[in-house]
Amino acid sequence: MKKIDMELLVGIFVIAGIFALGYISVNLGDLDVWGKKGYTIYAEFEGIGGLKPGASVEIAGVTVGKVKSIRLTRDYTALVEMEINSDVPLQDDAIASIKTKGLIGEKYVEITPGGSEHLLANGDKLRETESAVDLEGLLSKFVFGKVE
Amino acid sequence: MRKCFIAFTSLLFLFLIASRGYCSDPMQQLRVTVDKVIEILKRPDLKSPDKEELKRKLLGEVISERFDFQEMARRALARHWRKRTDQERKEFVRLFRKLLERTYLRRIEQYSDERIIYKEERIDPPYAIVKTVVITRDSVEIPIDYRLMQRSNDWKVYDVIIEGVSLVNNYRKQFDRIIRSSSYKSLVDRLRKKVE
Repeated sequence: MKKIDMELLVGIFVIAGIFALGYISVNLGDLDVWGKKGYTIYAEFEGIGGLKPGASVEIAGVTVGKVKSIRLTRDYTALVEMEINSDVPLQDDAIASIKTKGLIGEKYVEITPGGSEHLLANGDKLRETESAVDLEGLLSKFVFGKVE
Repeated sequence: MRKCFIAFTSLLFLFLIASRGYCSDPMQQLRVTVDKVIEILKRPDLKSPDKEELKRKLLGEVISERFDFQEMARRALARHWRKRTDQERKEFVRLFRKLLERTYLRRIEQYSDERIIYKEERIDPPYAIVKTVVITRDSVEIPIDYRLMQRSNDWKVYDVIIEGVSLVNNYRKQFDRIIRSSSYKSLVDRLRKKVE
């Protein structure tokens, strides 16, 4: 009787361990197993300067979504697919900019909300975008620009 | 007689195509406006300091043909635009326009044979982007993109992106910060102080 209890306890412990392992791997891998509710929007940028899928989308510094995928269009611009939390409505004149955390940190997308009455729905495109600022380009203009 | 008729209709047709193409082309419309501005700046009879007022007036007229200041102001004020009364909106558009004129007219007036290259236009009705590059005398290239919106047959500029920085977004962030930290009234007071 006592022996069975011991084995049962070990079994429960092992099963709990497997669940914990599963939970950790899902969490660390950033997988959406439950299909977190959100809507997808697209934005086209001239240059994204090293933005990666999985990067955060922020409003006022608060993460409201993330970059799902990035691909090159036929015009050689970058089309960024973003998933936005469903409780965050965005207007069609909102502006998406690529920003850098700190001076040389990772890239993320910052959205400044607009004031239009039309809200973006699933699959819509955000028209107003600001590309990543090319610091080296600006620097070289500053350094080499002045001839006189 | 019949030949004449065919010639006439084909001529009419050609004319229609030409005029339509002319009207629906944002790059062409922008180019006309920019050319007009440069023409005014180059006019020798407007060079003297006492003609400053007249020159600014002429420039203002030409520019407002192509730039939609109300749309710019609406976009710059963003969320806060909706809470304003019609009277307040009108006043805000006036002040915002003055602010832009003060900031940019002086720079435009310094024009000295910079070359403007029209690179490409991307039309996605009713919106369009026209990409240009200004090349200064020391051959520094400054990319300037215009975002336009179609209003019947005209294309109107509602945002200008210089070196990748949007004018509307710049003001939107500043205005939002001021309104949040104090009030809309203090924003208007500040603008008024700055332009008047």
